[in-house]
Amino acid sequence: MVTMSLDPVQVMSGQVKELKVSPSSNGDSRGSWEEKEEFAQDHLGLSTMTKPVTGRRTRKVEGGVFFPKPENAVTIAVSSRVLFRTEREQKVFEQKGVEEYLRYQIEHENEPFTPGPAFPFVKALETVNVRLRELYPQSEELFDIILVTYNHAHVGIRLINTINHHNLFIERFCMTGGSSPIGYLKAWQTNLYLSADADKVREALAEGIAAATMFMTENLTEVSESQLRVAFDGDAVLFSDESERIFKAHGLDKFFEHERDNEDTLLDHGPLKGFLEALGKLQKKFYAKGQRLDCPIRTYLVTARSAASSGIRALKTLRAWGLEIDEALFLAGAPKGPMLEKIRPHIYFDDQMFHVEGAAEMGTVAAHVPYGIAQKHNQTHNTGVRK
Amino acid sequence: MTSTIRNTDVKQKDAEHAVVVAVTTRAVFESGADDGDGLHGMGVAFPLLQALQRVNKRLLEENPAESLLFDVVLITTDSQQQQQSSSITSSTRHYGLEVGRFCFSSQEDFIESLLKNDVQLFLSTDRNEALQASQKGVLSAVLDQQVAPSEQLRVMLCGDAVVRPDTGPVPESQQAAQSFSARLGSMRRRFGMLDSPLSIVLVTSSGGRESCSVALRTLRSRGLSVDEAYSLAGAPRSPILSVLRPHFLLSDGVID
Repeated sequence: MVTMSLDPVQVMSGQVKELKVSPSSNGDSRGSWEEKEEFAQDHLGLSTMTKPVTGRRTRKVEGGVFFPKPENAVTIAVSSRVLFRTEREQKVFEQKGVEEYLRYQIEHENEPFTPGPAFPFVKALETVNVRLRELYPQSEELFDIILVTYNHAHVGIRLINTINHHNLFIERFCMTGGSSPIGYLKAWQTNLYLSADADKVREALAEGIAAATMFMTENLTEVSESQLRVAFDGDAVLFSDESERIFKAHGLDKFFEHERDNEDTLLDHGPLKGFLEALGKLQKKFYAKGQRLDCPIRTYLVTARSAASSGIRALKTLRAWGLEIDEALFLAGAPKGPMLEKIRPHIYFDDQMFHVEGAAEMGTVAAHVPYGIAQKHNQTHNTGVRK
Repeated sequence: MTSTIRNTDVKQKDAEHAVVVAVTTRAVFESGADDGDGLHGMGVAFPLLQALQRVNKRLLEENPAESLLFDVVLITTDSQQQQQSSSITSSTRHYGLEVGRFCFSSQEDFIESLLKNDVQLFLSTDRNEALQASQKGVLSAVLDQQVAPSEQLRVMLCGDAVVRPDTGPVPESQQAAQSFSARLGSMRRRFGMLDSPLSIVLVTSSGGRESCSVALRTLRSRGLSVDEAYSLAGAPRSPILSVLRPHFLLSDGVID
């Protein structure tokens, strides 16, 4: 009976040494690499194990395929429009209607879509999974990526072909054929939902699901392939919009006064606090195995608050919540774009479109969290699109 | 001894083209709820019958000469129900159900009834009945209590059991499933993408995206284009099912 787990061979920089592939070995010792290769060929008929990266990455335990239970995994639901680029198809839909749109999709079924704004983020999630599986082969505490789209299943084959083409590890999906995906998000115990449709994102937030709207930007800066980097704005993202309300209603001075007076009062939580928490839990799994310095997850707080004053309350709150954030950047009102360009996160969450756009201009994938008081002032984008 | 009675209140369907769906009386009416006025209460299958009726109505709106319609048959599957023929027919009339025929059969001969009446889909709340019928080559499914049933007829196909076309001789029950899928597909094509009174939902429970892809292609090759597709890849079904709210589940002739 096979009890060994088959970890995918992911040849990436810095990881080759873990495979003990040694051309100079005299062949006497049967290292773990050789055992894995034999396993692959005898039991699965796969010959891809000797090739770097391109083989389909499946994890098999005792002949079955391993999929985490939704309650154990960190479930990320991504819509097809943010995972892939579907602008051309969107145009067909908007200009010619749904029947023509579906006909077009079927006609182009064997043409994979190209990567969209969420693609690098999803790839980075998979990288983390590879590392987690190496350290904890039996654990279900992994990222589970689910494609949630309200496309008709007619587009299903094209989407599956695209996933195959890009070698993504997405086995779960919901194609709702036009009905709201929100019920399914809950059924999947979704930890984060990324969509191009602001209305759906708002619905998800109203149901207590962390969610953000993503936009396609050209000229994205390159991001790390070995470390997932997630950056968060503070107010109305990790924290409630309480302080922003004060600022908007009474101005900066009153804001500072309020923060000073309430320095020791915790801020209330915001819609993405839970997601940061989920990331922290996974980080701790790496720390437990002595990989703090080499942790493939890094989190950032990028806030307009200033370190000397209003920032203190933010830090105290995070500490009280037991949440570690790797880097806290207090910009004291300075523009966020340049800082984000230095950090190069795979995704940056902000409640203000102004910052989202600013980040995008400098090549950062930014996602809008339509939450809190800032939304009343946020009319820069009309995202009334349907799919 | 079975007797089959036509319901004269309802226009008979074209036998050659109609899709005959038999539903047990136990599923449609509450048994023994004979309230003195000789009427039964509404059973579990009520929302389903109403959804089938709505599909027919819309089909005729699209084409008044349409012959590809659901032809509903009420069938008794035990002697107790068999005795209640008058309350069954009067209840049917009372609720205005579009039932074409009644088959008053007992345990021993209900399957024969199904076969004689060319039933293409048999629905029962009793798993054993469904199993028996399925073993004799009649496509069957088990009906459950519906929580907040939808107006739209929602048919769920269990993709794991969808058989690929190239895998050798096809057993009777699967043949029945394949021909039913094809007809359902034709029916579905009478409507546009939006606002259809009928939605076909594919769910694959185990296996990953490939098994869903195979199921989608196979169904398409049979003439059935699916509206919604869900790949669970091992995740528990019930949370998803409670959002999906299918009226019934089909698994290519194999009872789940």
